[in-house]
Amino acid sequence: MENTNSKIAGIKIPAKLKNILSTHTSLITFIAMLIFLGVITNGAALRIGSLQNLVVAEAVRAFAALGVGMIIITRGIDLSLGQVIGLSACVASSFSQTADYNSALYAGQEFALWVPVVAGITVGALFGLFNGILVAYGNIPPFIATLGSMSIARGFKLIYTQASTLGSLKNEYKVISQGFLGPIPYLLLYVLVAAFVIWVLMNHTKQGKSIYAIGGNAMAAKVSGINVKAQLVRVYLYAGILYGIAGILLSARLGLANPLTGNDMELDAIAAVTVGGISHAGGVGTVGGMMIGLMTLGLINFGMTFLGVNSYFQLLVKGGIIILAVYMDMRKHSRKE
Amino acid sequence: MKKFLVLLAMVSVLFVSCQKKEAAAPEAKVEEKKEEIVIGALIRNTDEQFVADYADVLKGLAADAGVTLKLQDSRGDMAAQLDQMNTLLVQGVKHFVVVANVSEATEDMAKAIHAKGGSAAFSNIQPSVEALKVGPNFFLASSPETVAGTFQAQILDEYFTANPEKMANGDPDAIDAVFIYGQLGHPAQVYRTNAVKQGLIDAGYKLNVVAEDTANWKPSEAQSKMDAWISAYGGEFDVVIANNDGMALGAVESLITNGYMDDPNDPTKDIDGDGLVLSIPVVGVDATQVAVKAMDEKKLLGTVLQDAVGQATTAFELAMMMATEGSAAGKSAWGIAPLTAPIAEAPANDAAIVGQCYLVPFKAVTMSNYKEFMQ
Repeated sequence: MENTNSKIAGIKIPAKLKNILSTHTSLITFIAMLIFLGVITNGAALRIGSLQNLVVAEAVRAFAALGVGMIIITRGIDLSLGQVIGLSACVASSFSQTADYNSALYAGQEFALWVPVVAGITVGALFGLFNGILVAYGNIPPFIATLGSMSIARGFKLIYTQASTLGSLKNEYKVISQGFLGPIPYLLLYVLVAAFVIWVLMNHTKQGKSIYAIGGNAMAAKVSGINVKAQLVRVYLYAGILYGIAGILLSARLGLANPLTGNDMELDAIAAVTVGGISHAGGVGTVGGMMIGLMTLGLINFGMTFLGVNSYFQLLVKGGIIILAVYMDMRKHSRKE
Repeated sequence: MKKFLVLLAMVSVLFVSCQKKEAAAPEAKVEEKKEEIVIGALIRNTDEQFVADYADVLKGLAADAGVTLKLQDSRGDMAAQLDQMNTLLVQGVKHFVVVANVSEATEDMAKAIHAKGGSAAFSNIQPSVEALKVGPNFFLASSPETVAGTFQAQILDEYFTANPEKMANGDPDAIDAVFIYGQLGHPAQVYRTNAVKQGLIDAGYKLNVVAEDTANWKPSEAQSKMDAWISAYGGEFDVVIANNDGMALGAVESLITNGYMDDPNDPTKDIDGDGLVLSIPVVGVDATQVAVKAMDEKKLLGTVLQDAVGQATTAFELAMMMATEGSAAGKSAWGIAPLTAPIAEAPANDAAIVGQCYLVPFKAVTMSNYKEFMQ
């Protein structure tokens, strides 16, 4: 993956150590933090239960990060993801409530397990397609286009749920997220599969190369024969599908969805991939980076909760780390220029 | 890909190595627990004044009792609250005070805590009946949100009974109301709103909703919403009903600047004798000090005290009883005895778990008693 990276940046760093340090900054940071947390809690924070919690807590965000990470590589952004995930969670939940629950949205009706899954993914895919068309064919800046669709998704969420909570989800639905295979949470398996699929897409397909090329220089990509518009729509669509899955997993994990579900998740996901070295200047970033960024922020969240750090200070620490990550990224790029 | 594989390998190694460590640890843990009492507090969102007060009361109680309080603020995020609960459970915390984000999540929370042999007192946000049925060590220590709405309706009923001419705007046979909601979908928004609407209808009024929208608990948003509504529906409404005091006071400011006063030239004069200097009554919930002061200035008709001290103390005492005595069955907390018969409202409407319900009273703050609430 690093090879792809340096090819795009068009440079080769001579010193081996320097190379390792700069390309693995986020990984090294993550490991250092893991060790630090392990030491100050005498290993308590690294017990299996803790690690399971960490993985479960970050799994839904991982899907969001993979989606928005791809979009940021095309030099785009997606502010709608939190609301789309929330809407998908609400729609999926509405089809998985127990039939005898009086306050169910479709009280008295029993749906097969595939119904909420298909419905949730469809919601995500439709919004992804919508965003993609606005950005690619409408030429609306991604920030504005997705700001609009964020509000639309939020509106749909409130209208669909009638502003109430969709609870009492069936156990067979909740197991999707709450199940374990031995000590390994199902959620971890889904994340590994999704990350692998996106990794193959980004690194071993023509489309992946196009995505990097568009982010690096859209005009050059167009001249070299890439159908930029079609590729952009696809990226947003894929991201939408990932958000749809995230919505399903989130509602299955919580055992409910309500109009607040998914709020602010865009910030967490964008922050995670930024910390993971996905450049907002476009064309640079790896799937591994996205996941490491995610786990780094997750570890910070988890560590501060574990140590009982006041939640207001947690916001300061998180904000500081994001700014630092972007600053480092900008510095790296300005040096290259 | 290399990074990814390294990470994967690392996580797997940690999973395996840590599993062994945990297997060896339990004996040491048991000894630790005897030394100190630890209470976990899972708190919805301390950005809200009431919840912040609640958290402060808990901290004070824990300090006085000399116990360790592990307080986690989830800032309104249900997923974060679950993560925090799991973290505390892993740390060996057993007894909890829970101000949940969502009622519907309480059953799963109760199950997770029950699986570790723990207990929880659900407070402020009502747990579901199913959550209390998880075991006898799960309690309700709260004031049902709907009661706040019902008190708002009572305050308005008294007002319109004494001043029937105040219903003359819009439809003269109906109460033409403007509603300002908190964050849509927030339990307090949903329950308070439904209850005040139902309360007015039950009192025999025809209710006409002229305008309704959220101001997200914020005074400034409420003020601009109100400004817009006055332009659109000026003169067509009889009352402003807000889900909290902050938004009620935002509406009061808007009414004042738009001249909805008995005497626009003198903001201290009550000409029509209804007890207010405003020509339109406004009600809120929370009984914040600013609101009580506004009542003293005859700008706000009424509010409802949600007792942070009462709720937090009741919940804390239940958690302490569980931690020290292992049971709270039949005992009083903060002088409140468990219910003996079901009430109309969930979850205390289920006979099987009424003994686990401790109802902390709400108090209506009216023109006749507000002075008692001034600090």
